[in-house]
Amino acid sequence: MRLVLKSTFLSNLLASIRIEALSTTLRERVRATPFSVFRGVFGLLMAVGTARFMWLGWIEDHYTTPIVHFHYWGFEWIEPFSTGTLYVLHWLMLLAAFGVMLGTRWLYRLSAVTLFLTFTYTELIDLTYYLNHYYYVSIVCAFLCIVPSPPPIWDTEARVPRWVLVIFKLQIAIVYIYAGLAKINYDWLILALPLKIWLPAHDNIPILGPLFTWSVTPYIFSWFGMLYDCLIVFFLLYRRTRVWAYVTVIIFHSLTGLLFQIGIFPLVMMGGTLIFFDFGTRKSPATLPKGPPKTKERILAAVLLIHFTFQLLFPWRYLLYEGNVSWTEQGYRFGWRVMLMEKAGTATFYVKDSQTGREGVVDNREFLNPHQEKQMAMQPDMILQFAHFLGAYYAEKGVHSPQVRAEVYVTLNGRPSQLLIDPTVNLMKETDSFGPKKWIVPYEKDAKNAL
Amino acid sequence: MNRRLYPTAVILAILVGVISCEESDAPIQDSFDRSEMLENMAQNLIIPAYTELQTAVNALESRAEEFTQNPDLNSLDALHEAWGAAYSSWQYANAYNFGPAGEDGIRRSLLEEVGTFPVSVEKIETAIIGSPNFNDFNRDARGFLAVEYLIFGTENTDEAVVETFSSQNRKDYLLGAVSDINRRIGEVLSAWNGGYTSEFIQNDGTDVGSSTSMLYNEFVKSFESAKNFKLGLPLGRRPGQTQAEPQLVEAYYSGKSTEMLGLHLTAIENSWHGRSRQGQNGLGFREYLESVEGGQALIEATEAQMAEVKAALEDLPETPPLAELIQISPAPADRLHTELQKQTRFFKSDMSSLLGISITFSSGDGD
Repeated sequence: MRLVLKSTFLSNLLASIRIEALSTTLRERVRATPFSVFRGVFGLLMAVGTARFMWLGWIEDHYTTPIVHFHYWGFEWIEPFSTGTLYVLHWLMLLAAFGVMLGTRWLYRLSAVTLFLTFTYTELIDLTYYLNHYYYVSIVCAFLCIVPSPPPIWDTEARVPRWVLVIFKLQIAIVYIYAGLAKINYDWLILALPLKIWLPAHDNIPILGPLFTWSVTPYIFSWFGMLYDCLIVFFLLYRRTRVWAYVTVIIFHSLTGLLFQIGIFPLVMMGGTLIFFDFGTRKSPATLPKGPPKTKERILAAVLLIHFTFQLLFPWRYLLYEGNVSWTEQGYRFGWRVMLMEKAGTATFYVKDSQTGREGVVDNREFLNPHQEKQMAMQPDMILQFAHFLGAYYAEKGVHSPQVRAEVYVTLNGRPSQLLIDPTVNLMKETDSFGPKKWIVPYEKDAKNAL
Repeated sequence: MNRRLYPTAVILAILVGVISCEESDAPIQDSFDRSEMLENMAQNLIIPAYTELQTAVNALESRAEEFTQNPDLNSLDALHEAWGAAYSSWQYANAYNFGPAGEDGIRRSLLEEVGTFPVSVEKIETAIIGSPNFNDFNRDARGFLAVEYLIFGTENTDEAVVETFSSQNRKDYLLGAVSDINRRIGEVLSAWNGGYTSEFIQNDGTDVGSSTSMLYNEFVKSFESAKNFKLGLPLGRRPGQTQAEPQLVEAYYSGKSTEMLGLHLTAIENSWHGRSRQGQNGLGFREYLESVEGGQALIEATEAQMAEVKAALEDLPETPPLAELIQISPAPADRLHTELQKQTRFFKSDMSSLLGISITFSSGDGD
């Protein structure tokens, strides 16, 4: 009986989704202002961000000074160009950002494609610097490449198909909601960790600082953060709560900007969420689409459908692995797990000469900058990459078929550190894949480890 | 507030109320005054360390002048003693390579400028007959350990060392090297005695560039350099090394390696406790940890391991010199190296994680 009811409900539901109507709605032409504001702010911030990156000397620090680079899975072939070339690329990126901000027609298209390619290339150079925000920026850049040629940014009467706005809103919704869902866990909500660690460390911030030492503050921030992430998009979508929601956006991202060293990203999110406003002083009903869908539009629709299906599903892949995702980090990246935990490790690598049996201890600082060492020491795939680098390096130095093992102690959310991987496993025999890493030691969260 | 937000706010308030009631015995966390810790570190550890070092180096300079005016066994003996005292004082001052002792343009950290080892005998000997320049890139031809080479020498007897100082060039080089050390230390000390101390105390955040972050980073670096360079490398524990390399020990020519290592480790322990060289206790990393979530457990683990390190250090015989010991019976030195290795994670990642100290310029998502 229940089964029948359920299936009737399902078929009714499916029938109620009228693809034609949906596609017409998405193709209706609405005021372009939200998109103009979005690309204006985004382009400007990208230009500022690129200039900042160069000015801080990060091209050298991040890309050309390090001896070793950690690669993204499937992008092992990406290597940094010379410092000079990278500067040229960054200047191109900066110009392209202005092109995205102000350009139209071919100039806009060329700029968008250049911005996407240069930005994504630089992000792919080294896994160390992975941030969900960079991933978000790459996706936005890709969207900017495929939207129809936009009207001039100052043309307030111009129109764009509704889907142009919808894809950005949907992407922002995924970012926020998935970030919110990730916060629904024991440590975050019940123990107020890691905010209990992060807030007192910032008790010297003017005015707010003293509040950070109150024991109730981390709880308020944890719960507010979770609810904010889960709900903000809905409040932004609803016209009557929009302005208040945006005030919350500003407060939330200002706080994260104060607490964490995340550069211009609070501004990127404050700018991005502006797309929820219509900026119209008077009502302006949507107009009908320009003719029936063309093949190009159908292809775009298919690409976007695949993209969003991927976006919805890929972050859940962690469920396919055993163990705590924060510990194993299998399925952690590209899942909008933003500022979710306090984790740090010390990784000691041992390289053994298979012929003589002599084993030496590696000084990581000889090969890695502090940022690389810090990120590597808590992420199994990076540990594996470094082990392989060491194996190759010392083989060349005359160590006979080196065996590399690592003793890695990691602390998660302030708990006593414990072994992350099996210190007896010869990592030279292991390869990276989406398969489970059997050499990860499960996270023990027994009474002794509970805070 | 909007009607839509209102229920959310109420739920939030109730939740917060429930949670905070559970914790009613601790309504406010013990807040730790970092600037007080910084003040203690500056006034009772750092400035006294540099002051004592300056005095000792002044004495070293006087003894060097006396020796060059009248090179004999007595003046050499006095010079040896002055060097030992100065280099001992350096062990208490070698972990503060930031601010006035940090890198600045082509000048590297004070540690690199005056404490580089092993020194290059070849470079020193070339510089002696050439034109001495204590500002070039040859940091392995100046500093305390270049002076050590000059006054202890590779010869077996003090007479032989005295003999080498018949050369005026050698005398000049010795005096030049000592006065270079003196000048560099003087600059750092006068900066601390000037405006830097208040700047240091006021910069009381935890981000990169804050005093706590710089102090902590140098603390860890100092600990790791003791382990890696004063023990690991000479022991031949680096991958690719096939045997012990005794000439890589610190203070190779004077044979004072073990003594200096012991002092270095004591200085590290003092920083942990916020304790002056004379034993006066104040706020240090330990007290800071006491104030944070999970800190007590880390303190216990750290201090248990510190006891192991101390025991291993005590079992390391003072004679023969470390360079010889690691060739005839490396076991005690190996054991100390292993115990220091076990200590590393407590200092290196656990502590920064619990204290929320930033060690890099941008946050990762995973931390």
